[in-house]
Amino acid sequence: MSVPVRIQPDETFVLNVGPQHPATHGVLRVKMEMDGEYIVDAETVIGYIHRMHEKMGELKTYPQFYMNLSRMDYLGAMGYSHGHVLLVEKAAGIEVPERAEYIRAITVELNRISSHLFWFGAFVMDLGGFSPLMYALQDREHILDMLERITGSRLTYSYYRFGGLYNDIDDEFIESARRFIPRMRKSLKKYDRLVTGNIIFQKRLIGNAVLTQETCRKYGASSAVARGSGINYDVRKNEPYSVYPEFDFDVPVYNEGDSLARYKVRMAEIEQSLRIIEQGLDKLPGGPIMPKKAPKIIKPPAGDYYQAVETARGNFGIRLVSDGGKNPYRLKLRSPTYSNMHLFDETCKGMLIMDALAFMGSLDLVIPEIDR
Amino acid sequence: MIIEQTRNALQTLFPEADPGIDLQVQQEDSETTAESSDKQEDTVRTNGVIERDYQVHGYHIDAQVDPEQLLEAVGIVDSLGYFIESITGVDWIKENQLEVVYDFSRYDFDLCRVVIRTRVDRDAPVVPSITSIYAGANWHERETHDFFGIKFEGHPHLIPLLLPEDADFHPLLKDFKA
Amino acid sequence: MGKTNIPTIEEGVPSSIVQFASLDKLLNVGRANSLWPLTFGIACCAIEMMATGCARFDMSRFGAEVFRPSPRQSDVMIVAGTITKKMMPGIKTLYDQMPEPKWVIALGNCAISGGPFAFEGQYSIILGADQFLPVDIYIPGCPPRPEALLQGIIELEHKLSGWQRWNDPQSKEVPSL
Repeated sequence: MSVPVRIQPDETFVLNVGPQHPATHGVLRVKMEMDGEYIVDAETVIGYIHRMHEKMGELKTYPQFYMNLSRMDYLGAMGYSHGHVLLVEKAAGIEVPERAEYIRAITVELNRISSHLFWFGAFVMDLGGFSPLMYALQDREHILDMLERITGSRLTYSYYRFGGLYNDIDDEFIESARRFIPRMRKSLKKYDRLVTGNIIFQKRLIGNAVLTQETCRKYGASSAVARGSGINYDVRKNEPYSVYPEFDFDVPVYNEGDSLARYKVRMAEIEQSLRIIEQGLDKLPGGPIMPKKAPKIIKPPAGDYYQAVETARGNFGIRLVSDGGKNPYRLKLRSPTYSNMHLFDETCKGMLIMDALAFMGSLDLVIPEIDR
Repeated sequence: MIIEQTRNALQTLFPEADPGIDLQVQQEDSETTAESSDKQEDTVRTNGVIERDYQVHGYHIDAQVDPEQLLEAVGIVDSLGYFIESITGVDWIKENQLEVVYDFSRYDFDLCRVVIRTRVDRDAPVVPSITSIYAGANWHERETHDFFGIKFEGHPHLIPLLLPEDADFHPLLKDFKA
Repeated sequence: MGKTNIPTIEEGVPSSIVQFASLDKLLNVGRANSLWPLTFGIACCAIEMMATGCARFDMSRFGAEVFRPSPRQSDVMIVAGTITKKMMPGIKTLYDQMPEPKWVIALGNCAISGGPFAFEGQYSIILGADQFLPVDIYIPGCPPRPEALLQGIIELEHKLSGWQRWNDPQSKEVPSL
């Protein structure tokens, strides 16, 4: 005798996504209250990879903290290190040779491309297409080769020093970077043909998780999340630092606010980064890469300093409270995906779970960078 | 200019009837030497708005307010269209105080960074929550509560965020021992 | 190593109770050549793990490319990243859910000993996967290069079947099968 299944009309259940889940790109956990396939409410639980960077910032001297920045965001480590060295140089009044700043800009942009490529592969994999990941990582390996040649590391670079760089670039690096630019442009066209026009891809992303400008402002979103919603905000343009005012590049902005807009922004950013690298290699001045009298012990005067940079994931801010000692008194790391991820809880309400996961992929999450 | 507009708007929190605070408003010279800024930090700061040198500090307006004035100050910043960057704390153990620092910035090309700070007693650290104004302050406040034990009054869900759910320690306090 | 605070997983279930010497050998060679790792990345090392599985390095040459997101379908857990106190129960649950026989690879310094995040007064991390898991292979590096992970996979194959893909140039012994 069979028993009829009784369905309660307004019954919900809690679905636990993560901390180990292939769609969360790391150890992120989202508790979702579901009504069938629809999300009624969601609560993001983070902190599964909290590695005490801010505590270590207080316990370590300034140069000892180099390595933490690259382990915070391992996909776009250069941008984070750039923020750190710029901040301490500003606070301690260290002059940086022009050549060093140009090399910094070139390496940051290379790293930004490698980060976007990885995101592109992982994002399309989230949506069910596996092969773009293979293409993207193949191109990414070329960047890693170049960067490894000068920094000695594949992911976790500690390349920048207060005042300059650890190592100068050589002709082979310049040549391989020049060769890489047309190759990447060709690949971008290939990706476009392979993915962007795909009807499944488009159907899943158009109109998915539309973010308004007001939501972005209330949560402090940046990077493609803000630029996909029509906010023309890029720290490199809005708050010029380093040698970025010397370069001619555009900030791609799309007004739709959906996941496809965020995808388009990132893909367009790769082209802009290539332009910066091209110009940087053309303009690269000679000279030293470290100042003649770089201070051995860094002791910024007491005070409160702030520096923001545009990393691959957005507006990264770093605040230093110094008491004049060898260690920072307080070092606050404002990570961009922390704010971008915070949007998720509110935005995903009423969405289908598969759409929510597509939205999560479009945020470009790196979990250790959220948890710090 | 947005910097002036913001400064004047925040200045309304400190009515001119009080001359002691009014003196605090000072234009910092761009050639401030390290020694003079040292001196400034040594003296205990009274509440008020200071315009900082962007080249040195990386922000433009530095306002210190009472915890009671916080919501009003943040409301002013919100009405001028700023976005929230972060909230953090600093443990001033020598003065037995905890400082909460709010960072705001702008999406448009009128570059202006605003820092609002408020100090509370270390023994009873209670600050009003600004989640009613900026929804994005939610996680930032929870994180600050994790690290410093500062209670944000009116926060909808003040449980540990980065630390384990049952955490009862505040690791960034200067007297924290693991 | 420091097994005082954290309950360890006892290897209570033997891989097979009845032993058939030759059949077991054959099975082990099969297992060694088709390791199914768990798709489980924690931090930086996970990116190198993905790079190992993708184009250039191509882990499938060694039969270990079938990354399974479910622990119930996988037989090797690659602990790729820092283990925090908040995450530890989750990792333990994942390990317990994997069917026997199963192996653990500690990938990177964090999973070996806490790596750069081990310092006096730390409050958040577990100093190494071997504090609560029986680790078979340790792969040092921060993060280890993809080649190092491949070497680790080959070492694991060697460990569980005694079979080697190639002769060790240092030793005169012929690989056994």
